[in-house]
Amino acid sequence: MMPESTKSSHITRALACAALLLGVAGLVKLLSPAHIYPEWAQRVLGALMGCVVVLYANSVPKILAPLARQRCNPAVEQSLRRFCGWSLVLGGAGYVIAWLAAPIAWANLAAAISLGLALCAFLLRCAWSLFRPR
Amino acid sequence: MSEIFKALADPTRRKVLQLLQRGPIGAGELADQFDVSKPTMSAHFAVLIAAGLIDAEKQGRTITYRLRMSVLEEALLGFVEVFGIQLMRKEDEPAAAAGEKKPKKGKP
Repeated sequence: MMPESTKSSHITRALACAALLLGVAGLVKLLSPAHIYPEWAQRVLGALMGCVVVLYANSVPKILAPLARQRCNPAVEQSLRRFCGWSLVLGGAGYVIAWLAAPIAWANLAAAISLGLALCAFLLRCAWSLFRPR
Repeated sequence: MSEIFKALADPTRRKVLQLLQRGPIGAGELADQFDVSKPTMSAHFAVLIAAGLIDAEKQGRTITYRLRMSVLEEALLGFVEVFGIQLMRKEDEPAAAAGEKKPKKGKP
């Protein structure tokens, strides 16, 4: 079981992330046409969402441990956790870079492809672990 | 964060983490990989547990250690390993506190 202090720190961090996202979205909406170009408002929000993905994916290998441990081979479970963390962090980083650097017309698509590829890689890795010949 | 840097600064602890990246390993099997005394090894494990980089699970009389590193911590481990950074002071090393295993004397 997860200790109470760890649980409450996770909840605090999740609430802080939600507050940050809502706060920045509100701020950008307020400042958008007059003080910030609409294009950059869109880019900032996209990059911020990517940062949240990176932040959560970074801690996936730590948080998932007690849940997954009971269900499968410990070595396989650990390698899946690590792969999941790495692929989502890289996918999230790609999401941020796409929103910051790609042409605005393509940014959304490039960001989605980056994150989608990360998810596909993880699912393929899971499938490989399940169905590979022993 | 300083506990993580302290844990990653020692080459033995880094080697322990690299071995655990392959999967959970029992304490005895892990200790066999190193030429250090059991108290020193226990001190290394204690530092790694305090830094939150590994977990210990007791099953009967055996203790199994497993990796519990975030992606950033793993990246840091790789970075420290590649560039060989020594971040710890000599007096902080567990070997200094617990005493290194003395070399076994051979028969005359």
